[in-house]
Amino acid sequence: MNDTIRSGIRAGIVFGVVMIFLVLIGFTVPGSEIIGDLLGIESELRAGNIQGLMIFMGLMGLGAGAYAAKGTGASVGKSLASGLVGGIATGLLVGAFAYLLGMLDAADVDMRKYFAQLSSQNISLFLYGREPLLGALINLLLFTVSGFLGGLLYYVLAQAPWLKRASAWIKAKRSRVTQSTFVQTIRQNPNAAFVTNGILFLVLFSIPFLFGNYWNYTFGTVGIYVLMGLGLNIVVGFAGLLDLGYVAFFAIGAYTMGLLTAPDPLGIQLNFWFALLMAIGMAGLTGVLLGIPVLRMRGDYLAIVTLGFGEIIRVLAKSDMLSSFTGGPQGVRDIAGPSILGQPFISERDFLFMIIFAILILIFITTRLQHSRVGRAWGAMREDETVAQAQGISTLKSKLLAFAIGAAFAGLGGALFAARNQYTGPEDHSLMVSINVLCLVIVGGMGSIPGVIAGAFVLKGLPEALRQLELYRLLAFGALLVAMMIWRPEGIWPAPRRRMEMHEEDEAHPPEAL
Amino acid sequence: MSAIELTKPRTPIQTFKIIKVIIAVLALIFLAWRLYNVLVVEAVYTPATWVRFGISGLVIGAVYSVIAVGYTLVYGILFMINFAHGEVMMLGAFAGYFVFEAFSAIVVDPVNGLNFLNAYPWIAVLLAFIVGMTFSTILGIFLEKIAYRPLRGAPRLIPLISAIGASIFLQNAAQLIFGPKRRTYVNPDILARSTGWTITVAGQDIIITYTGVFTIVLSVLLMVGLWLLVQRTRMGRAMRAVAEDKETAALMGINVDGIISRTFAISGALAGAAGVMWGIQNGIIYHYVGFLPGLKAFTAAVLGGIGNIPGAMVGGLFLGVVESVGPAALGIDFQLKDVIAFSILVLVLIFRPSGILGEVLSEEKV
Repeated sequence: MNDTIRSGIRAGIVFGVVMIFLVLIGFTVPGSEIIGDLLGIESELRAGNIQGLMIFMGLMGLGAGAYAAKGTGASVGKSLASGLVGGIATGLLVGAFAYLLGMLDAADVDMRKYFAQLSSQNISLFLYGREPLLGALINLLLFTVSGFLGGLLYYVLAQAPWLKRASAWIKAKRSRVTQSTFVQTIRQNPNAAFVTNGILFLVLFSIPFLFGNYWNYTFGTVGIYVLMGLGLNIVVGFAGLLDLGYVAFFAIGAYTMGLLTAPDPLGIQLNFWFALLMAIGMAGLTGVLLGIPVLRMRGDYLAIVTLGFGEIIRVLAKSDMLSSFTGGPQGVRDIAGPSILGQPFISERDFLFMIIFAILILIFITTRLQHSRVGRAWGAMREDETVAQAQGISTLKSKLLAFAIGAAFAGLGGALFAARNQYTGPEDHSLMVSINVLCLVIVGGMGSIPGVIAGAFVLKGLPEALRQLELYRLLAFGALLVAMMIWRPEGIWPAPRRRMEMHEEDEAHPPEAL
Repeated sequence: MSAIELTKPRTPIQTFKIIKVIIAVLALIFLAWRLYNVLVVEAVYTPATWVRFGISGLVIGAVYSVIAVGYTLVYGILFMINFAHGEVMMLGAFAGYFVFEAFSAIVVDPVNGLNFLNAYPWIAVLLAFIVGMTFSTILGIFLEKIAYRPLRGAPRLIPLISAIGASIFLQNAAQLIFGPKRRTYVNPDILARSTGWTITVAGQDIIITYTGVFTIVLSVLLMVGLWLLVQRTRMGRAMRAVAEDKETAALMGINVDGIISRTFAISGALAGAAGVMWGIQNGIIYHYVGFLPGLKAFTAAVLGGIGNIPGAMVGGLFLGVVESVGPAALGIDFQLKDVIAFSILVLVLIFRPSGILGEVLSEEKV
C-alpha cells in the first residue's frame, strides 16, 4: 500500500513539474494545435485548441499513470491504485498551478514582464476558457481519470501474458524472413548491390524534378548538412575526436568562396570552380593548422579548444579590425555561382543537383577511407589511443588526417552554401551550426554513413515540416542529445561495429571508468 | 639492440617539442615588441587608465574564479567537464533577479516612496544570494541525477555530449520561459553601480565601485569557506578520497554516489552565487549570459590546473586581468577580448597542460 502511494506521488511530481514546464515554455499552444489538426478538430481560438489540449493533457495523464504503475508490483490492484494516485497527484499540481495563474491573470497582473509565454490568452487556454477554479478542476479531473486509465494500460500492456507471446511471434517471423534462402541469395548476390544502388541513384536524381523551388531549397539545406555531417562523422565518429568548433571550417570555406568570387571587398572575382577548390584546400589546411597544437589533447580539452576556435573565427569575421578584408558584420555579397559550359546555375534545382553529386562523391570517399588502413587506424585510436600507439599507429598522422579531411568536407559545404545564397556573413556561422551538425551525427549514429543522412533529415528536414514547433527546435535538440546518450548512444542508424560495441558493454558491465 | 640506436630516429613528439619552443620564442618576441610599442612609442593610455583596467579585470576575475572552482570541483571527481555549469550560473542569476524585483515592488514607507530593497538592503542582498544559491544547488543536483548519473561508466565522450545537450536545453528553456530580452538587475541604492570610493592615481581620479569591492570580498569569503569545507570537514575528506580513487573510497565505506551528488550541489551553489554576483556587478542578464563566462571560467580552471581549487582562484583572477588589460596592451580592438581568453587557453594547453599551479598530470587526465 505504502509503495503504491509513494510511486504514485513520485510520478505525480515528475509529470506535474514537466507539465508546468511545458506551460511555462508555452508549449500548450502549438501542442494542442497539432493534435487538433491531426484529429480535424476546429478551434474557435486564435491560438491553441481547447479539445486538442484536453487530449494532450489526457496523454500526459496516461503517461503519469503508467509511470506510477511501473514503480509498483505486478498485481492489477496495485497498478490501478498507483495509476490513480499518480493521476491525482499530477492533477493537483497542475490544477493548483492553473488556479494560481488564473487568479493572477484575473487580478490583472501582467506576468509577461517576467514569463514571456504567460499571456492572458495562453492562460485562458490552459483553463480551457473557463473560470480559474473550474479550469483547475477540469485539469484535476482529466489527470485523475487518465492516470487511472494509464495504470490500467500499463497493466494490460506490460503484465498481460499475450504481449510477450506476440513479441516472441514477431521476432520468430522476422528471423525466418531474414534467414530464408530467398533473402540470403539476394544478399549474397554481388549484382544485387548494383541494382539497389541503381534504384537509389534514380530516386536521388529524380528528387529535384519532383518538388517545387521551396522544397528543393530545403533539400539543398539538408544536403549541405549531410556534407558537413559526413565530415564531422570522420572526426567524431571514426577518429573519436570531439570537435565543437566545426563551423570554423564551414566559415572558412564560405568566406574563401565569397572573397575570391565577389566584387567586394577584395575584388578578385575568380572562376567558381577554382574558388571551390581553393575553399576546400583552405579549409583542409586550417584543419591541419588547428590540428597541430591540439594534437596531444584528448576528449574534453579538445572539445573546449575547438569550441573556442569556432568562436574566434566568428568574432574575427565580425570585428571592425578585419572589416576591410572580410566585410565585417555586413558580410560578403554577390558571390558568384557556378556555370558549366557557359550555362550558369540559377535555379534551386541546379544547386540541388550539385549538392547531391557532392554528397555521392563524399560518400564514396568516406566508405573507401573507412575500410582502408587509415580507417582502421582511426577505429583503433578511438577505442584506445595508448594501445593504438603501441600497435605502431602514428596517432599524430591519423589525427591530422582526420582533422584535415573533416575540415575539407566542411569547407566544401560552406563554399556551396555561400554560392547558393550568394551571400555569407558572420551570423551564418554561429555556434548553432556546429551544434546542429554534431546533433545530426550523434542522433544518426556516430561512424555510420546512412546514419548521417537519416540524422540530417530528422534534424533539418523534420523541423521544416513542423513549422509550428520551430521555436522549440533547439530545446528538443538538447533534450534529444541527453536522451540519446542515456538510452541509445549508438544512434538511430548505428554503424554495425558500433552496435556490437554498445551491445558488448551491456552484457559485460565493465568496471567503472574514471 | 643498443640504446643509442633506439634514440636515433626523431619521434614526432620530439619534432613537436622543437616546433613548440620555436613558436614560443617567436610569440614572446612579438609580445615584447607590441608591449614596447604600446607602452613607450605610442603611449596612448595614462597610468590611471591602466589602473582602471586592472581593477575592472580583478573584479570580473573574482566572478570567474567562483565559477571556475565549480568546474574544477566536478572535474576533480568525475574527470568530466560540466558543460552546463554556465547555464546553472545563468539560472541562479535569474533567481536572484526575481528576489530583487519582488523586494523593489514591496513599498515599506509610502511617504518617502521607500521600498523594501532600499529600506533593508543587506537583508535583500542576503536573501537574493540564498535564493539564487538554493535554486542552483537544486538544479545542480538534478542535473547530475538526470543527465550524468545514468552514464557513469560509459566512454568519456558520452557524458560530455550529454552535458552539451543539457547546456543547450537549459539555455533554450530560459530563453523560452523568460523571453529573449535583456533585463536590468535592480540593485539597492547602496550598491548603485556608478558609485564608489575615489582614489587619485597620477593626478587622475579613479572610482573604485562599491559593487566591485563587494564582489571581490564576497568571492574571497566563498573561497575561504570552500577551502575550509574541503580541507577541514569529514565531507571534504570524503570528496578528496573519491577524487583520488573511487573504488578504494567505496571500500573505505564512503558513499561515492552521495559524494558526487554533493559535489554537484556545492558546485551549483557556487555557480548560483556567481550568477547573482554577475547580476549585481554587470547589471544585465539574459539567457545567453552564462555561456561565455562559463567558457572563460573553464579556461581559468585549466589555467590554474584543473582539479586544483586554489589554482582555479588564481586562474580566474589572472584571466580577468589579462582579458581586461590585454587588448589595450597589445593595441588591438576591445571586441577581440574573447579571442585573447581562448588564445590563452590554447597556449596553456600546449605549453603547460597542468596549469600554473597544477600537479603534473598523467596523460590519462589530459
